[in-house]
Formats: sequence, C-alpha cells, structure tokens
Amino acid sequence: MKNLNLIIVLIALWLLPQLGKAQQFTGTSGLAHIPTGEMNHEGDALIGGHFLNKAMMPDTGFLYEGEKYHTFNYYVALAPFSWIEMSYVCTERIYRKDAQGNIVNWSKDRYASVKIRPLKEGKYYPAVAIGCNDVWTSFALFADKPNVQFYFQNWYIAATKHFEFSGNELGLTLAYRHFYRGYNAKWNGIVGGITFRPAFFPQARLMAEYTGNDFLLSMDMLLWQHLRLQATVKDFKYFYGGACLQFNLLGKKYRY
Amino acid sequence: MIHRHTSLRHRPAIALMLALFLWAGQPQAHAQATSPSLDIFSGLDFNFKDIHFETQYDFLIRLTPGFKWNMGNHWQLSGQVMFPIVNQYGYEYSFFQVTALNVSKEFKINSLCLKATAGAFSHNRYGLDLKAFLPLCDWFAFEGQAGYVGSVFVSPYWELVAPNRFVGRFGGDIYLSRWNTQFRGVIGKYLYGDIGLEGIAMRHFNHTTVSLYGRWSNKFGFDGGFRVVIMLPPYHRKQRVVNVRPASNWRMSYSVMVHEYSLLMYRTDPEENERDGWFSRDLLQWGSHTMEPDFIIKEKTKKNEKP
Repeated sequence: MKNLNLIIVLIALWLLPQLGKAQQFTGTSGLAHIPTGEMNHEGDALIGGHFLNKAMMPDTGFLYEGEKYHTFNYYVALAPFSWIEMSYVCTERIYRKDAQGNIVNWSKDRYASVKIRPLKEGKYYPAVAIGCNDVWTSFALFADKPNVQFYFQNWYIAATKHFEFSGNELGLTLAYRHFYRGYNAKWNGIVGGITFRPAFFPQARLMAEYTGNDFLLSMDMLLWQHLRLQATVKDFKYFYGGACLQFNLLGKKYRY
Repeated sequence: MIHRHTSLRHRPAIALMLALFLWAGQPQAHAQATSPSLDIFSGLDFNFKDIHFETQYDFLIRLTPGFKWNMGNHWQLSGQVMFPIVNQYGYEYSFFQVTALNVSKEFKINSLCLKATAGAFSHNRYGLDLKAFLPLCDWFAFEGQAGYVGSVFVSPYWELVAPNRFVGRFGGDIYLSRWNTQFRGVIGKYLYGDIGLEGIAMRHFNHTTVSLYGRWSNKFGFDGGFRVVIMLPPYHRKQRVVNVRPASNWRMSYSVMVHEYSLLMYRTDPEENERDGWFSRDLLQWGSHTMEPDFIIKEKTKKNEKP
C-alpha cells in the first residue's frame, strides 16, 4: 500500500510542471478543501467529479461495516453572476456488498452549496465571501426528517488578497469555518492557505493550506480553456483529486 | 368513460375561448407575415429520478420526432410523438405518446399578445388553450393561460375522456435587461386539480437559460429545484420550404422532492421552453426576445437570384 501511495504522489508531482483557479470538491471556487474569497467568472458552468480519499472524509456516514472507504463525487456548478456561485453535489456511499466483498450498490448523499461575495477585492483590501454547504439543511428548508444527515454541512466566511510581483501572483487566504456535525469538528475554526501562480504558466496554481486538521499541498490548472484538473496530497501520503469540464455560458474566454 | 354533454350555452368560458380562436383567424394588421414552411425535427426527452436506494437513477429517454407547419400569418399546425428508448420508469411509459397535434394562432391586440391552440397537447391532454402576455413596460409584464381539457390515450389502447377540467395560471414577470435576468411569480390551478404558487428566477446566457424555482402545491406541498434550457446548434440556419433539423432546444428540470404531478401543466408547442416563452420573437419583443437571437435564419436564395 505504501508503494501505491508513493506512485500516486509521484504522479501528482509529475503533473506539477505540466499542470487555473481551482474548484474544491464542492464544485465552487476555493483551494482543495478550504473556501476562498475569490469567485469563478460570471457565466462559468462546471460539471465534474472528484476522487475522495477516505483520509479526507467525515468520520461517520461513509463507513461500511465500520471501515472508512475511498469514494467519489460528481457535481454541477454555476456562477450566474460575478458575486454568486451555486453547486449541486452527489457523494457516493456504499450501500451493499456481496459475499465476496464486491460493491453491489451505491447510494448517494446530495447537497447544494451557495457562495456569495459581498466585497470584491480592491487594491488595499481583500475579497470577502460567505457561503455554506448543504443549503437545505443550513436553512432547515427540507430538514423535517430527523434521520437526514448533514455530512458536509458547514458555513464559512473567507477573505483572500492577491499580490503581484514580476508577473507572478501570490494569494493569501484566511477563513473561519464551522461544520454542523460534531464528527467534522476537526475542520472547524480558523483555516487558511497560500497560492502561487507563476508568470510563465498562469494556467497553473500551486497551493498549500491548513484545514484545521490537515496540511495539504495541491495544484490545479486549466487546460485548453475547458478542462480543469486538481491534484492534492495530504501529509505526502494520501492523494485525492478530480477533473471537471468548464464552459463560460456568456461565451467569454479566460486563461484561468 | 366519454362525456358527451357539453353545451356552449352552459359553458360560457369555452364559448369565449372558441370565439377568440375564431376571431383570431381574421387577418391582423399587427401580425408580421412569415414565409410558410415545414420544419421536421427531433430531439431527446431526457428524464431521470433519484428515488431508490438500490439504483443510482431511474432513466426515461425518449425520441421526440415532430413537425411544425408554419402556414403564414402566425398560423401553425404542430405534431409530435415520443418513443421510449430507455425506460426505467415503468409500464405506463413503455408506449409511444402523441404529445402534440394541434393548430395554433398567435395574434396581437395593441400590446396584448394572445395565442389560441386547439387539439392534442402533451401529457395525454386535448382541448382548447389560450395564452396571453401583456407587457406593461420594458421590465414588467403580466402573463396568463387558460385551458379546458380532457384526456386522450392513443397507445396501448384508445381512450378519450371529454373535456372536463379547467386549468389556468396567472402571474407577473420582471425582466432586468442589464443582467438578462427574469423573475416570475405564478398562481394557478393545474392538471391534477392542485392549486399552487411558483416563483422562478432565470438567468439567460448565450444560448442557455438556467433557472431556480420554488413552489407550493396544496396537494403535494413544497418543492424546489433547477431547470436548464440549452438551445441546440447549428445557430446559423438556412430557411427552406422544408427544413429538417434537430430540435431547437434541450430542456431538463430537476426537482428536489420528486413530485412529478405537482403544478403540472401541458405543453401546446412541441418545443415549448422557458427561454423562448409562448410567443414568436417577431410578435413579442420583450424579455429574452430582446437579446441576440439564438438562431440566425438566412433565407435560401436561388442560384441566379441576387441576395
């Protein structure tokens, strides 16, 4: 298993020199796990999926016979305006295995995310965004069933400021995040990250972040203006990442 | 069961709709003449449900061949059937359905746009339908629809139930042209007898409209979700007398609570969608019709003819 993890890390590192603005696994803009104050471009529509390492999953809900497991999700997301993003995410859960241990059925956990940016980044002040995952339960719109779980439910406020030097871009993010469920409390509190976008290849972005519990190193990039990739390594051991197709519905073209 | 006792004397609303329909046949000075043409098209009706733990989704995919005969002066004869290709919805969806076979006429009285339709509609309904749209200014308009319908089943057996139900809805639209954003609020009585309210927020992009909706029905309760309408290429088309083309749009609707019969209304036009609305672009210049058209139609000229 150690060799497998090493191979995955090497693949991630190999992607480094080849490898814009990332999507988190929720489909909205951010770093690999924490939200940022920046937003996707107005009209950006995303459809994609993420491999989710069990090391980064909630400590309950995604267990089969008491064991955590790797899984994946898929999502659609849209930024109808420059100040708001919305996404809809389905995360797969193992529903049943056969006697040989093969997965027979998957079920899914669904949630919607909303992110709003009340303050756009200025010369001397950062962009500030607020948002939440699992909107229905956040506002208790459809939470009339006591057995409904909110595995990814959280709200946050995030501030991001970018600095330019020699065409390179350095971004600093600081956020406060609160998860609803106690089993996700490890990710509560002050979180933050640093991003670096090199001048020679601005489509790529390197990221280092602290989730409240984990240190993550990540990279994402936008290829051919439509394919967005993200690769993340936790503690140099656990890989997770994903890909999505990105289209601008206003017909605009962006490098990242 | 077929009901045959339908006297116009006792049904003033039907008489009024028929009168409007017949009156609409008179030439209207407001209506712009359009070249008669026949459009033959097909698309895919894509549906999926997420209601079982043991399956990811249940799919219903149907082919939707249809035609529109534009007879000029905003008269139109439309027809469409749906053939199931993939059906995980159950027995009742395993047959072809006639989802349109009707004649319609659009006309205008001052700024009031009206569309009268008679014939077969979607959801196995037939009857009379009248739609109205009244722009009060650039950003606000009223809309309304009234129908008197019965049921018709063609496959697997023939069944006809005479018109016995009034349906209708009334509401207002706000359009913010700077952001191509539209808000709609509607109250109505729908096909399954439920009465409800619906609020919709739409953002129109180039060739795509995405909307969020929330609604309440007195029979089915609260629901919400999103809808996507994508106008399908090619966006530059040549206009001939007979045109074979893909369907103008692909539409999907997602419901959180999967209440498929909540606030359900038939469609009279085979390609009806929220982006285009009910009326022709040349008749109604309001809302998304003030944006760049999705389809640039070029009249086909003969070789010897100068364009």
